[in-house]
Amino acid sequence: MSEFLQATVYGLLEGGLLALVAIGFSLVWGVMNIVNLAHGAFVITGAYIAWKLNTELGLDPYLGMFVSAAALFLAGYVVQRFLINNVVNAPIWMTLLLTFGLDLLIVQGLQLLFTADFRSIHTGWGSDGLAIGDVRVPYGRLAGFGLAVAVTLALVWFMTRTRTGLAVRTTGMDRAAARLMGVNVRHVYALTFGLSAALAAMAGAILGSINTFSPSAAGGFTLQSFVIAVLGGLGNMWGALAGGILLGLVQAWGGQYLSGTLVNAIAFGVLVLVLIVRPAGLLGRPYYEARAEA
Amino acid sequence: MNVTAKERPGAAVGPRVGGGLGGRAWIWAALIALGLVILVLAPTYLLLESEQRTLASVFMFVVLAQGWNLIGGFAGYPSFGNVVFFGLGGYTTAVLMAKAGANFWLTVPAAAVVGLGFAALMGIPILRLKGHYFAIATLGVAEGMREVVINVGGLTGGNKGITVPAVGSEATTSYPGNTGFYFYFLALAVLSIVVVWAVSRSRFGYALRAISQDEDAAAAAGINTTRAKIAAFALSGMLTALAGAIYAFQQVTIYPERLFSVDITVLMVVMCVLGGAGTVLGPVIGGVLLQYLSEWLRDNFTDYHTFVFGAIIVIAVLVLPMGIVNFARDSWKGRRIAPFEAVRQYRL
Repeated sequence: MSEFLQATVYGLLEGGLLALVAIGFSLVWGVMNIVNLAHGAFVITGAYIAWKLNTELGLDPYLGMFVSAAALFLAGYVVQRFLINNVVNAPIWMTLLLTFGLDLLIVQGLQLLFTADFRSIHTGWGSDGLAIGDVRVPYGRLAGFGLAVAVTLALVWFMTRTRTGLAVRTTGMDRAAARLMGVNVRHVYALTFGLSAALAAMAGAILGSINTFSPSAAGGFTLQSFVIAVLGGLGNMWGALAGGILLGLVQAWGGQYLSGTLVNAIAFGVLVLVLIVRPAGLLGRPYYEARAEA
Repeated sequence: MNVTAKERPGAAVGPRVGGGLGGRAWIWAALIALGLVILVLAPTYLLLESEQRTLASVFMFVVLAQGWNLIGGFAGYPSFGNVVFFGLGGYTTAVLMAKAGANFWLTVPAAAVVGLGFAALMGIPILRLKGHYFAIATLGVAEGMREVVINVGGLTGGNKGITVPAVGSEATTSYPGNTGFYFYFLALAVLSIVVVWAVSRSRFGYALRAISQDEDAAAAAGINTTRAKIAAFALSGMLTALAGAIYAFQQVTIYPERLFSVDITVLMVVMCVLGGAGTVLGPVIGGVLLQYLSEWLRDNFTDYHTFVFGAIIVIAVLVLPMGIVNFARDSWKGRRIAPFEAVRQYRL
């Protein structure tokens, strides 16, 4: 029983961080109809920046994550504004190919820079923890979960209460109408993509202080983002949080009771099932249902 | 405004494809016959063993790109899991040869049936999805199938792979060597081109193009869209599974990581799209160019080849989003070369 509780706690806490990884992916997909296959590469890049700051300057990853986020925000903005915006109206496999090419570039670039060795960011306090009965709750994971929830709240506030956030949502609902209302769509697209990359980098920095990472982990994060975005409904921020926690729990329980990699098969099975049975996601109707392609 | 490009993925390539060869048909026929004769004689007179091996892999990717062309290029359904047919075909051959002691030539039709049947079965629920959802569902099926193959180790050898009996007294079929596989893959490539050519000129091909441009309108025009999509997917699955079957025998030992690798799917898509999706010639050109390029990069930039390959994909998508064949055709017809015209059409 305590094994089950321990797995549940770990899954819950890690699920929060998975939600933080996926929330930007879901936003980009929901607002721009772009599936960003380089998303996992952004996560890993964020982790490497935080790791470098930690090893060179001794900076705590919870401070380093802001540097990661700022750097990736700029990079994401530039990539969308000058590369992806050029093929937004092309058949969808074009954006898939373009972001896959970017993924190869970033992952291989990181591998050439930092080798394929596994790294981890050490904090003095992250692996300490409190015990509730038999269940251990490490501070590092707890803080990561808290951060994920806080960022989700901040993002919801930004999207619903600020003019820029409203512009992003408007663009996601009807691009032509948004343009007629004076929204600079090119800028909004780049901004959304930059935001998504920044959130990914932030999550990457924290994940790097909890687990080990290497460039080859990028693909896994992209796939998990897929699953979470689909589970939660595209562009639905609360949905991403719920989807992330659900996936975290399923993976933790699966890891506890199933052999080897069968967990992954189940994750993909769930994904395909949800797509077929309930393509709008588990949390009801998709946020951007009113989307009109233009 | 942008409506056409966005809502009709195949619009840029669709209507122009089926055009007849006109009075120049005999020139084309003669050129094709000449090319075939050269390709058949080449191993004896021109090519080293290593070059035959490279060309065999080029032919294989032509088959895979043509397979993707049927579902992605013609029907406009961007499958990102076509590698599942490749893997299933390969494992059908490997398991039948290794566990049942079957002759290679008996396993080939079995692989074709498995590819066709699995595509049809998986197509029934999944082809109801569109766009990204379809892409991701197919990706999920491929990744899930890899995990299944890994986890039924008793049958497939799991992560350690499976080895077909290719030499010695246990061999059920004598190993044909580089020259043999050169001809197997050449024959399959020719078959795939003929299939796609026949489809592109048939009623079925026009039905697929109509689906790609506007599925509701196609249905309203009396096309049974479900049947057409499933048929295209099944045909695509069959060709891809055949390539997998030959590949498994060629490699002797196969691993799930390689046979269900997402990279293979992406290569199919890149080759087909770069050459010209929805055309007969496009995937051939894309397959030959990119596979050669990739081999060349592997030889000359051992450390950087994936990096350079990523850069090439990015540049190709930005400069030639409509594919080489369509770019050449537009340049020829308009008597001018406009490399950034597509960017003007597709950008925000």
